[in-house]
Amino acid sequence: MSNDQGRRQFDAVIIGSGAGGAPIAHTLARAGKTVVVLEKGPLLKPQYQDDRRLSDFKRDELFATGPEKRIQLDNVANRGASFYSSHIEPDLNDEPHIYRERDGSDRVTIEGYTAQVVGGGTQLYGGVSLRFTPLDFRLQSFNEGRRDLGKDPKGDVQREARDWPINYEEIEPYYGKAEELVGINGTRANQSKPFSADKYQPPLAPNPISRFVELGMDALGMPRYRTPLAVITQDHPPSGRKASADPKTAFVNRYGDPLGLKSNTWVSLLTPISGLPNFELRANCVVTHLEHSGSRITKVHCRNAAGLSQTVEGKVVIVACSAIESVRLLKLSGQLNGGFERRINPNDLLGKYFLTHCFGGAEAFMPGRYDKSMTLDSDWATDFCASEQYLKANGLWAGAAIYNNTSDQALPISLARTHGSQDLDNIWRAFVDDTSLTGDRLVQFLDGNFGTRLSVSFMANQVPLKTNRIELHPTVKDKWGRPVAYIIKEWHSHDMHLMDTLANQCAEILRRAGAQGEPDYGGVHQAENAFARIANHILGGARFGRDRNDSVLDANCRAWDFDNLYVTDGAFMPTSGGANPTLTIQANAFRVADLLLGSV
Amino acid sequence: MAVETIQRDDVYVLNYCAKLLARDDRSPRHNFGQFSDDALTARIAEPWRFPIVDSYSDGVNFEQSYRYNAVTFVYFAQGSALPGAVGVIGTFGNLYDPVPLRRIAETPYYTMTVVVPKGEVHQYKYVVDGEIRLDEVNPQRVILENGQPWSRFFTHLCCIPLTFERWELGILNRLTSHILPFETEDGRNFLERFYNTADRQTKDTQYAHAYRLDQPVGVVNFIDKLLAKEESHRVIDYRTCLELIDRVLRRRNPVTEPSQMPKEMYRQLYEEMAQDRVDGWDYGRYGSPRFFLQLLRRHTFTGAFCHPKYGGNVGAAGWAYLEERYRDANGQTLFQWRRIMERPLGSSMEYHG
Repeated sequence: MSNDQGRRQFDAVIIGSGAGGAPIAHTLARAGKTVVVLEKGPLLKPQYQDDRRLSDFKRDELFATGPEKRIQLDNVANRGASFYSSHIEPDLNDEPHIYRERDGSDRVTIEGYTAQVVGGGTQLYGGVSLRFTPLDFRLQSFNEGRRDLGKDPKGDVQREARDWPINYEEIEPYYGKAEELVGINGTRANQSKPFSADKYQPPLAPNPISRFVELGMDALGMPRYRTPLAVITQDHPPSGRKASADPKTAFVNRYGDPLGLKSNTWVSLLTPISGLPNFELRANCVVTHLEHSGSRITKVHCRNAAGLSQTVEGKVVIVACSAIESVRLLKLSGQLNGGFERRINPNDLLGKYFLTHCFGGAEAFMPGRYDKSMTLDSDWATDFCASEQYLKANGLWAGAAIYNNTSDQALPISLARTHGSQDLDNIWRAFVDDTSLTGDRLVQFLDGNFGTRLSVSFMANQVPLKTNRIELHPTVKDKWGRPVAYIIKEWHSHDMHLMDTLANQCAEILRRAGAQGEPDYGGVHQAENAFARIANHILGGARFGRDRNDSVLDANCRAWDFDNLYVTDGAFMPTSGGANPTLTIQANAFRVADLLLGSV
Repeated sequence: MAVETIQRDDVYVLNYCAKLLARDDRSPRHNFGQFSDDALTARIAEPWRFPIVDSYSDGVNFEQSYRYNAVTFVYFAQGSALPGAVGVIGTFGNLYDPVPLRRIAETPYYTMTVVVPKGEVHQYKYVVDGEIRLDEVNPQRVILENGQPWSRFFTHLCCIPLTFERWELGILNRLTSHILPFETEDGRNFLERFYNTADRQTKDTQYAHAYRLDQPVGVVNFIDKLLAKEESHRVIDYRTCLELIDRVLRRRNPVTEPSQMPKEMYRQLYEEMAQDRVDGWDYGRYGSPRFFLQLLRRHTFTGAFCHPKYGGNVGAAGWAYLEERYRDANGQTLFQWRRIMERPLGSSMEYHG
């Protein structure tokens, strides 16, 4: 077979088409630079881009959680266990993530993948698009000299907290740019973040069950605002998308949107450049390693849809294939070439300080019943728990956004499969175990749970620890024979303190709102497989900074010892921020793109 | 028979091939016990996705199009020498007249898409440079009366039994009914109303073949199709356990057919299985009746409330049950599934399924 792969040389080679890659592709291609985006996953289009008006995404619960498959890998403790992945998550036997459990055993997990598809994680996310607060960018300064931090006996927080090398003011214009170009609805009033411009589309009327969140937040004096969501509610000229008469559906979180109203990076940022002659998207193309000569990346090696080896070259190479996979790609390249390893990992920090979020919340039965199938992912949010005053009053190192979820358990199969568990590794377990649910008892279960439960979540910074890290697994290989990612992490005692405090705060919202009975509440550290839980917010591992001895990337997200290698997915973050990370990844990628305009 | 073929672009096909077929690794890491380790199906991911049975639309009349699927064949050429001509023969067209597949440039994949009515089962084989071959990727096989194996696929809303014998269907019907709400008085009344009042069009489009089903909401049919395709590794669990259940029930009541036995016997059997202690169960052949019950619970609930294209939730009866049961003080339903589902199943003017 010949291997005529087309064009080989570009101004920019971008690995990954999600939140970290697409803003750069958009900016550079618009400026006339030649750009290729290499995406491991498929290109699935919304209806309006298809001649026959069909989408590859469906309103089908079995798309989010597919049929049973079994883990077949050797030397993992959960060999034989069932898993139920989405149609655009990787097959765990082909490309597993492995984490180390408390007992030292290795286990395969579905957690920590975003999605492998053009658009990446923005295809499946709920679309919560919060800015970080100014304080999130300077947690080292904020915590200096404090003696009031809870459950931090060794002073780890003060030793490990880092200020970002950029401050809120520097990234603020790019937040606005992302909000405008991505297409986000929400409200600005009552957010504790300064805005130079309001680019939000207007939000839709909230789901009726969310009025309890209003009641609870108001009773506690928590200023509230409509959760910014990456779903268009009006025509969106930057992407050419048209609004829908009826955009609300619980097929939102963990579902791709067949109508393209959810502002994933394919419809919002890549579609507008897809007709340009200087832009190329290669879907179904997996990058295997990078090759260098001196301080330059000279070749990007990949496999196309048929598995054939190809190479492309770029004046700059941007790695943005989600933090775990980006770190893995750099480590694999280093494993193949000692010179590469010395340049990318001179200080043994690559893969270290892996981060996710401290997350959790509360859930309760509310009076009455509501149609939760007519909803977006969230209605109300508050920054109340992100103020300096709140943090000092509660002995916390960093703050959190709190918001309600409306689409969870809104559809019948998801109600059953998440019964007693919202964890992707343990899905279905409680329902199948609860054999008492038959006939009348099953009716009672449905009567009790369908459209009656309300949950409120928090999303908070995790304490950075060097021991939390991404490595290459010593024995398990993917379908290309490459070592897979190995996740080793734990929760710091201050993380647990923080999660306990915030979970109770979420529960208090529900109590004050008139919850029936005491809410269930807690932090993810209490979960059965707490070490695996990642919320699909995979951050850190290649943090940026001002000191080359303390970071993997410089303030522009360039690898210190390479002239043309950048990492722009969540891996760059030195702290994880008190909110969902996607908007900040997008804003930072727009910032880096502007810097690159001067150099390519 | 005229075959209607349509063009699907290369990316549509490669979206499946890259993830599921392309690889260097040759270990049987996708064999959950249903394949031999040297079969291609043991080495590739989700081989059941081939041929690709997907929604069809002519781009204009979505309700008319709803009666059909677009079925995309993918022939995966193994080895370094590529064939010159690949075609497919099958019962969806003329058995003696291969429909040609085109090669996707620079790949070992050959493809063609054909329009096939919903509710059907078909046999097919590839013709590769004149030689007739089974589809090595698709695990579905059927042995015809003349002893010849053929590759098989079925389209959405299929109600023809593919996995189970009649006696197995009978027992499964009883077990799944025990789990679901439709044997309660409210549930029975609902189903009677629902199926009696369905209009002619709904009957035609949603369960044209439902007369074959003597089971509420088609859950057993869903399981029959799931085991024929996505979860074929679970056939062995069902085969073994249904045989053991049949034996247990006959021992307890030698005069009545198991499918006709009183409700109380199924209730008791269910409870014993839940406790993992079934009197008369052959534990040497299947160690945990509770494990099978758990499997059955997942399949049953999924079948009752999944999209009807999978063969359960016939006519969306499961969704309609929730729609009717949960209403606000003004009588408005609190599960408005119709507004988000494609026509003619639902009423969305925007989503086409």
